[in-house]
Amino acid sequence: MPASTGEKSVTSESTGEPARTQRTIGHDEFDPLGTLVLIFLYFLILIAMWVFTYFIEFLGNDPTPIMLW
Amino acid sequence: MEIHAYEKLWFIASLVLIVGFIATITYGTVSLGITMVDDREETISPEELDEDERFQDPRVEQVGENEYEVYVVAFQFAFQPGTIEVPEESTVTFYVTSRDVIHSFSLVGTNTNTMVIPGEVTTVTVEFDEPNEYGVVCNEYCGSGHHAMEGLVQVVEEEKFDQGGEDGDTDE
Repeated sequence: MPASTGEKSVTSESTGEPARTQRTIGHDEFDPLGTLVLIFLYFLILIAMWVFTYFIEFLGNDPTPIMLW
Repeated sequence: MEIHAYEKLWFIASLVLIVGFIATITYGTVSLGITMVDDREETISPEELDEDERFQDPRVEQVGENEYEVYVVAFQFAFQPGTIEVPEESTVTFYVTSRDVIHSFSLVGTNTNTMVIPGEVTTVTVEFDEPNEYGVVCNEYCGSGHHAMEGLVQVVEEEKFDQGGEDGDTDE
């Protein structure tokens, strides 16, 4: 489905504010780069916290009970 | 249905993250052998500890080349034996039971931390690598002397262990 971009339409005003322009873009043109970077940062923090909590904080407190086969 | 590229990316990243979490835990279980303490041992009567050949004489006993078993009796307000001596590079299984109320047997600063319940024999296996000294505390409120209830686990060098005798029982 071809994306349609760049159409301009003016909203109907009921409060007397200056008219703003609405821009319609297609589905794939939406590009929230800032949000992407932020979420990616959160992911890195999650991974770092997991590695720290499991490998350093947990396994670092040797000895840990193990199975005796 | 149109799914945004970022939506796909997010979905896959989340799945990878979850797989990573599960893989870490699996690694801990399968490769390191980490396990939780359970109640697989047979029960015992707390009044009849003196008739059990393990607990009538709480001690350290060697059962293999680098394998040891330590029989510990917890009671208000001490552990018996008070000081436990094991050699370095050993695999030690603690069998702990209580004579009276619920205690815990916890090596301070480590993950070796388990409840000690009258009637149950808590079985915990750990590996000691380097010589070290671990304080033992009771983490389960057991009465007026609970805060003073403590013991000691000493992981000593090979040579020192042989000299000290194998029962590891030191008079306090």
